[in-house]
Amino acid sequence: MKIGGTARTRTAAGVLEDNVYMSPVDEYQARYRRRATVLSVFCLLALFALVYGYFNFDRPEDFDDVVEQFKYGSIGSETGGSVLYPAGGYVPPYWIFMTMPEVCSDLLPPGGLEAVGLIMEEGRDRPIGISRRRRLGMDEVGLNCAVCHTGTVRETDDSEPVVYAGMPANQLDMQALIAFLLACGQDERLTYDAVRRHTRENDGRIGFVERLIYRAQLLGPGKQVDQRSVAMTEQIGMILGDEVTPWGRGRVDTFNPYKALQFNWNLSKLPHDELLGASDFPSIWNQAPREGMHLHWDGNNESVDERNLSASLGAGVTPVSIDHPRLDRVKDWIWELPPPEYPFAIDDALAARGEPIYERQCASCHAFDGADVGTVVDIDDIGTDPFRLNSYTYLFSVNQYALYPNSEYQFKHFKKTNGYANQPLDGIWLRAPYLHNGSVPTLRALLDPPAERPTTFFRGYDVYDQADVGFVHDEPSEGELKFSEYDTALPGNGNGGHEYGLGLSEDDIEALLEYMKTL
Amino acid sequence: MGNRLSKKWLAALIVVAIIGVFAWNRLLREVPQQITGGTEEYFKYGSIGTEAEAGIPYWIWLVLPRIFPEYLPGPGGYPSVGFMVERGEALPIGFSRKVIGFERVAFNCAVCHTSSVRLNPEELPTFYPGGTANTMDSQAYLRFLRQAAEDERFRAKEILDAIQQVTDLSLPDRLLYRFVIIPATRRGLLEQAANYAWMEDNPDWGPGRIDPFNPVKVALLDLEAGGTIGNSDMQPIWNLGPRVRGGHVFHTDGLNDDIREVVLSSALGDGATPKSLPMTELEEIELWLMDLEPPAFPNKENGSEFEIDEDLAAQGRAVFEAECSTCHAFDGERVGTIITQSEVGTDPHRIEMWSQEAAAAYNAYTEGYPWEFESFVWNDGYQAVPLDGIWIRSPYLHNGSVPNLRAMLQPPARRPDKFYRGYDVFDPNDVGFVSDVAEERGRAFFEYDTSLPGNDNGGHEYGTDLGADDKDALVEYMKTL
Repeated sequence: MKIGGTARTRTAAGVLEDNVYMSPVDEYQARYRRRATVLSVFCLLALFALVYGYFNFDRPEDFDDVVEQFKYGSIGSETGGSVLYPAGGYVPPYWIFMTMPEVCSDLLPPGGLEAVGLIMEEGRDRPIGISRRRRLGMDEVGLNCAVCHTGTVRETDDSEPVVYAGMPANQLDMQALIAFLLACGQDERLTYDAVRRHTRENDGRIGFVERLIYRAQLLGPGKQVDQRSVAMTEQIGMILGDEVTPWGRGRVDTFNPYKALQFNWNLSKLPHDELLGASDFPSIWNQAPREGMHLHWDGNNESVDERNLSASLGAGVTPVSIDHPRLDRVKDWIWELPPPEYPFAIDDALAARGEPIYERQCASCHAFDGADVGTVVDIDDIGTDPFRLNSYTYLFSVNQYALYPNSEYQFKHFKKTNGYANQPLDGIWLRAPYLHNGSVPTLRALLDPPAERPTTFFRGYDVYDQADVGFVHDEPSEGELKFSEYDTALPGNGNGGHEYGLGLSEDDIEALLEYMKTL
Repeated sequence: MGNRLSKKWLAALIVVAIIGVFAWNRLLREVPQQITGGTEEYFKYGSIGTEAEAGIPYWIWLVLPRIFPEYLPGPGGYPSVGFMVERGEALPIGFSRKVIGFERVAFNCAVCHTSSVRLNPEELPTFYPGGTANTMDSQAYLRFLRQAAEDERFRAKEILDAIQQVTDLSLPDRLLYRFVIIPATRRGLLEQAANYAWMEDNPDWGPGRIDPFNPVKVALLDLEAGGTIGNSDMQPIWNLGPRVRGGHVFHTDGLNDDIREVVLSSALGDGATPKSLPMTELEEIELWLMDLEPPAFPNKENGSEFEIDEDLAAQGRAVFEAECSTCHAFDGERVGTIITQSEVGTDPHRIEMWSQEAAAAYNAYTEGYPWEFESFVWNDGYQAVPLDGIWIRSPYLHNGSVPNLRAMLQPPARRPDKFYRGYDVFDPNDVGFVSDVAEERGRAFFEYDTSLPGNDNGGHEYGTDLGADDKDALVEYMKTL
């Protein structure tokens, strides 16, 4: 028989040891116990692997066509830092986001998300600029580059809109969009039942585990979507409302939300005029020739890569969640992307006459080979509205160097300037309204002295004005869609400065405008 | 049977060893710093041995201002307390980071000994290593750390959530942070706060000032602050060579005349321990400071207010020779020596902060080390300092009670009673930093009130009876020092 162990007995003489022999029943039980232990350890490991695999699964929706990738692909801005806290970023998980316009329809203008300027394309489940990614056990959504850098153009109000990827999002009211997401996120109508009902009615399916997360962690008073929306409202609420000059369509205040969301600065303690930083979305084509130029309106960075990483933070990535390979795919594409060609008729002879005028009047600051292109002109010399310049402060710049810490991406280039940068004018026809704050609606108006430029106009219409070169800007609305009224008297909206090319003859102006359509 | 037991022991031993090696690796393993660019870079970002005892874990340090912005003087993160940040640097000047198990950040010499200057408000600042940290409010930083540590949100959940926004800690690291590093950091900060409790009974230091030796008395020497006030200006530390060769004393009250002891004791004061002092590197810094020259006055051409009038300066030189040079020129006979308080008449608090007893205690503190201190003394006066780079050393007098050179040449009763410190825009006419600006872009500067104890602006009445022309000439000349 087998020895199963020893028994010890303490006696006056010392410790006695005896062998204990195992009976066949003991042996059977020991074998059983061993097998049961192995099996349960195996089951536990398998369960752990399953749970780990489920929550660690990370697959963004990808597209073969790089333009589709740009419009709908992920850069890593999808919500949530960890399994325990899956809410984060600007946008809640997919089905909650999809339900919001329905349950909070009164928080949006008539027309839903499209009315605040998101673009819906035929056959897509969601607007341009919204990416989708399965991670942390859920379908999540985030913002990507295209949300601010894609727009539409129509020849007349009867034409079909043409989508131009890479142009400024002329139609997007970012302030209204974020305000809506934060308001609906804390709206008591945004319940689990509402999300479930909306999903069913739209033939969607929320997985079993996902449903548990929605119910237990995300939806309901005090749960994460509510909590997160309340917290973000505390941080940036004051620049989404009436306390600042409205951003309006096609504009964003780049750096003030950044101060609050990246560094948790209390915006109410900053000088109020620092909070009026709204400026136009830029176009993002042709980046290669821009490397080394002063980028951003005030020229605060000379590295395209760092500028891209910074803009990605604005879209909601963190240094942890950012998806470098996918961002690189977009970067490689915009690196060489040519500006879209002017789609309407051009009088070639007239344009040819405009070229020497452009060379004489504009090229030194605005042509790719111009001596001063990409450099910063002092605010006193350029004379344009100073608010955007003042919204980016030295104190903020020195805080930025701690972004993407301990990595090859750590910020090194940001620098406070004292003016605005000379931009190359490639694709300038699509970049109206003009000047950094979008205070001049058309190229023709920009060639007028400041006092003669329009003092109020409307932004956000995508019908093109071929005569003045810019978008039609005297229509307050189209149907129920309302455009943004732009008042140059408001702080930050000044249309003064940049007094170049004034005093040209009528003929020269026509020729110059015609030529600029070809850039 | 014995075999089986020892197998168990062996297994246990292996597990303990693995955990031990892991813990050593993540908590204690020291990794040498990689700092390129010479001694100046090392001075700004290199270690003086303060990380082991006084270091704060980098990730915690990084996220604290984002969790507790309300405890900083204003929006702006650490730079809001006046730390100076160079373009592209993740840490301010004067912060060293070093891996001792995990990355830790702590002070080095440069945090108190680098000046920030702008010639106009629109300009970006220029930093001068070796100068005085005129914008830096170390008391605000200490208070920030104390208030953060006292707050109940200084706990694993909040801190790890914030860290997760900037880096992806591994699971074992997260556990270490949760159970070891975060609680230990909090304890350490509370202990530090307790060591600085005395300062809340004293007038505020304000930017550019520090109480240099009460912290040493309390934290190292087991003495009491005892209600004494040592508030005084940070000192420039350039041109050590002529000072050492001239046999000068160091510190405003001259409590030590041995440069090696001054360097080592300063590192100890910043949080190094006798065992952690990096002797080679400190010696390298000391050698570099021997020949470091003060920055020249930004002499601009063409009628700018920064243009030095050479003729006027030449006249001023004669005035300086007659009025100031005995005490303040490198070849003056009293320079680098102690002038008794009764003779110079400036605020006595700084002298009363130190004592024979404290000097003896500091000498005894390092007994047994090859570099043990023996030169700490107590004096009843203040050092007559050389005036090299004096243009950038404002405010003046040991306690920084006089905002500019012109005010120094006024009789005490006509010197400003109140002015602001911490603004780094330079005033070339009065020679000193602009002192009548209360705030810039939401950042409030420090109001210096000369009626508070330790802040008196009396005494040092030399040159106050000169004629207006002589004063103009003298000030012009002093720009060139």
